[in-house]
Amino acid sequence: MLRFPAVGRALSGAAKGSLAPSNSVRTQSRAAGTMVEVFVDGKPVEVEPGTTVLQACEKVGIQIPRFCYHERLSVAGNCRMCLVEIEKAPKPVAACAMPVMKGWNILTNSDKTRKAREGVMEFLLANHPLDCPICDQGGECDLQDQSMQFGSDRSRFTENKRAVEDKNIGPLIKTIMTRCIQCTRCVRFASEIAGVEDLGTTGRGNNLQIGTYVEKMFMSELSGNVIDICPVGALTSKPYAFTARPWETRKTESIDVLDAVGSNIVVSTRGGEVMRIMPRLNEDVNEEWISDKTRFAYDGLKRQRLTQPMVKDASGQLTATSWEDALTRVAGALQGAQGSEVAAIAGGLADAESLVALKDLLNRLNSDSLCTEELFPMDGAGTDLRSNYLLNTRIAGVEDSDVLLLVGTNPRYEAPLFNARIRKSWLHNELRVALVGRQVDLSYTYDHLGEESAVLQELASGTHPFCEVLRAAKRPMVVVGSSALQRADGAGILAAVSALAQNARASSGVDEGWKVLNVLHRVASQVAALDLGYKAGVEAIRNNPPKILYLLGADAGCITRADLPKDSLVIYQGHHGDVGAPMADIILPGAAYTEKNATYVNTEGRSQQTRIAVTAPGTAREDWQIIRALSELAGVALPYDTVDEVRSRLAEVSPNLTRYDDVEGANYFKQANELASAVDQTLLAAPLVPPQLTAKDFYMTDSISRSSQTMAKCVKAITEGASAVDEPSIC
Amino acid sequence: MFLSSAIRSAVSQTARQVRSLHRSAARAGAGGIFVHRDTADNNPDTPFEFTAENKKRIEAIISMYPLGHKQAATIPVLDLAQRQHGWLPISAMNKVAEVLEVAPMRVYEVATFYTMFLRQPVGKYFIQICTTTPCMLCNSDSILEALKTKLGIKVGETTPDKMFTLIEVECLGACVNAPMVQINDNYYEDLTAEDMDHIIDELKAGRVPPPGPRNGRFSCEPAGGLTSLTEPPPGPGVGVRADL
Amino acid sequence: MASTAATRTAAGAARVVKPLFSRDLDEAKRRVRELYRAWYREVPNTVALFQLDISTRQAKDKVREMFVKNKHITDPRVIDMLVIKGKMELEETIKVWKQKTHIMRYFHETENQRPADFLSRFYQGHDP
Repeated sequence: MLRFPAVGRALSGAAKGSLAPSNSVRTQSRAAGTMVEVFVDGKPVEVEPGTTVLQACEKVGIQIPRFCYHERLSVAGNCRMCLVEIEKAPKPVAACAMPVMKGWNILTNSDKTRKAREGVMEFLLANHPLDCPICDQGGECDLQDQSMQFGSDRSRFTENKRAVEDKNIGPLIKTIMTRCIQCTRCVRFASEIAGVEDLGTTGRGNNLQIGTYVEKMFMSELSGNVIDICPVGALTSKPYAFTARPWETRKTESIDVLDAVGSNIVVSTRGGEVMRIMPRLNEDVNEEWISDKTRFAYDGLKRQRLTQPMVKDASGQLTATSWEDALTRVAGALQGAQGSEVAAIAGGLADAESLVALKDLLNRLNSDSLCTEELFPMDGAGTDLRSNYLLNTRIAGVEDSDVLLLVGTNPRYEAPLFNARIRKSWLHNELRVALVGRQVDLSYTYDHLGEESAVLQELASGTHPFCEVLRAAKRPMVVVGSSALQRADGAGILAAVSALAQNARASSGVDEGWKVLNVLHRVASQVAALDLGYKAGVEAIRNNPPKILYLLGADAGCITRADLPKDSLVIYQGHHGDVGAPMADIILPGAAYTEKNATYVNTEGRSQQTRIAVTAPGTAREDWQIIRALSELAGVALPYDTVDEVRSRLAEVSPNLTRYDDVEGANYFKQANELASAVDQTLLAAPLVPPQLTAKDFYMTDSISRSSQTMAKCVKAITEGASAVDEPSIC
Repeated sequence: MFLSSAIRSAVSQTARQVRSLHRSAARAGAGGIFVHRDTADNNPDTPFEFTAENKKRIEAIISMYPLGHKQAATIPVLDLAQRQHGWLPISAMNKVAEVLEVAPMRVYEVATFYTMFLRQPVGKYFIQICTTTPCMLCNSDSILEALKTKLGIKVGETTPDKMFTLIEVECLGACVNAPMVQINDNYYEDLTAEDMDHIIDELKAGRVPPPGPRNGRFSCEPAGGLTSLTEPPPGPGVGVRADL
Repeated sequence: MASTAATRTAAGAARVVKPLFSRDLDEAKRRVRELYRAWYREVPNTVALFQLDISTRQAKDKVREMFVKNKHITDPRVIDMLVIKGKMELEETIKVWKQKTHIMRYFHETENQRPADFLSRFYQGHDP
């Protein structure tokens, strides 16, 4: 495991010295020192000591060309593209690796600097193939752009170009290693961010190459990010290969909903088709990375879609029909039923707008049995206090923490970007991590305290040896996985964790602003649904089977036909023919997250909105509109016609839902803890095992990723080896 | 301007005619390609385990480095593995990674960087013949020829009995004693074709001939005797003004 | 600052608007009547010339409708400009620079009315 002891200790020393809230990895605040004045092209600028030349130039708004330098990776300094002249220095220096000294005058556009860049560019292009017309990076290639801007118009290289064998590192990343300029960004990403030390440089000199040496897949849940950080076309996306050019696509800024992190994404579309998904910078959520599921599951949006309303005919076959027909049937059934005979279940991909519309509709029909598929203990404070079900410390808060206890969760596959944050903090801030639950590879070392629930009780009562560490912690954090709370003794576990968090807070003496208790959710809709007052779990429906069951994208299969009376009517509204649709009598096709303007709240309680990137296929409609249309036919018309009106209704119910990109902090931990102490504290003996243990469980978790061929290939590659999904490459 | 470009294009034209680049035979023989391909005698299941004696040595090596910097011992431990096994199969590299608690890739990186780490099987005696300019001028070609005929193999090959592997290398830094070959750790210098035959015979007979020059020199003193500084060194005061 | 603003307002109030043709509303109205009359006389000719599938009555009604549509306008300059446009249309019609389809566009025969209520919009398409 890579961990920089010296650097880490120095950083953590600084962190322990002053526990200012701003003291995180990102801000990199160093020990206080006088500022250094340097000049960039004669312009004076004050920088902290230890700043590199490149950062100083960035501070005055001058971009130095670079290939190997990346602000989130360690400095390598091997591409030499960032050479700049320093006045009175004998040689040009590599700006990315050279700390500034007092009084330096950095010349970023002098003859010497330009000549140095031109020379480096000539060397880089010496072995780089001239295959831009067939290269997927064309149009967004750093080498292309920078050779246009800084390179020469001719080369003196007349020898043979080097050729390197392509590697098969899995079904997601296509390698054309001849194009590689050996910046080693991918190697550093793999070992520092992803924590999978599979990539490296082998050989030396002209024969140096990037690869895995042995035949091996680059197995990481964040592997797709090397496509973005590769400055040339050496690592490109396999599913996206030869499908589109960056200048042909329209980019829509949106939100990912395939896990509860709510990564910010850019959806590239062309002609009503999603071509690819790329990350968007959001320092508080995903930095600039996204998980492989987020990036590559988009082909699931084109398969298994429900494109038109369907109704089960006399022979029991679902047949396509018109919206009018389908909606009239549903409305007729709703009108003929008592309030208590109608129930609804919201799935993991439902947006806040449709959730509030469905709730309003059912409430108007005099029913209040609205459930989410994901279970959450309702005893004690249950979902009444928001602090009980949020990741209160926030994702970025991990960087300020010094001791982290994970309970019954595997963040690596439940929330890969949260795990990346933990790893970042573990690497740079000496974060100490402990885990109660099944021992899994989290890409960092941790203290495994056991997987029995008894350990949790010991921790809560303070008799476990690890309590010493928790007591000594300055900023402790406890994260409980949502799956751990879905056991029969979920309330007891939540109570134990809550007590544990309360004790840790008390002993740390941290100020009120620091939250200790955290819940890590796995589905995107859960927080919004709980905010809107949905009941968590379908137990109520199972106990009291309704005549009419409305499934809003419920694809987890919590309720089956066997749980319902024979004559019950099941309505499925959603975008994929997955688990929920086959059991339905009437299917109303909805829109997926790339096809609607919708609000999602991530596990921190941060509400964010997706935007329409493409139109929904066939006659599918945005989800809240379906419910709105249905309400009119059922005679209980909902009072909103536009998405803005729905959102003002959302704001009425829960104002935080429309405060986009803002996190409404939750409080009342103490009260929640008091209420929790009233519930049954006995825990089952069963070990705490999160459902996603290995990489195989990561890829196909919801209706979109289950329909994705790419995700299926990933699973196959993991079980049968990369060669099983190897396709003959064209170039 | 025009003239220079014309010259340049002429030069590049001629340059294009000679496209075969010189490639060191060392790569072909010992280094090979920089990716691993499983073979019958080199795969992750190739048995490799450090001997008890070497384990002690590893401990000693690691103790030389500060705590938490086991990775620094990669080169000596790899060397130890190579000395034990004769060359470095992938399983040995994995073992080194395991011993040093680093990712295998970090060990592969080191092993592929240094040409003295042999990642492909070699014979018991690994003959590296220098054919760089000074040796070549001293007729290393005849030595190479002698080796080839004696062993019946070409450069980069191993004898069928797995006794000898022959490769051609660049300068080994013994130019003053050219021509020379290195056999395992020993330098044999000032060779003639007959010397070479003799050395091979000795090795075949199971004896290791003494390393060093073969023409009677002790070490790297001038071959034709001293040409300067031949008289005994003058005492102090030579060439100094008499009045001082 | 305030004083300059005040003077600017005062200047705006005092500024005499340069007329297009008509100096006052009455004159503008006269021009409108002239145009209407010209159109009214031209209508039977147009129906015959373009072989329109409508009666003269309908065409005259349409002319009237087009004029009445703008009856709320009181600014002589705006009226003048509309009259200019109307004259251009008339000229194009008389000289048969238009074609049948251009005339019929006044009647919006092929245009679909976009539904106003939510449900019809919902049935109709993705973006109501």
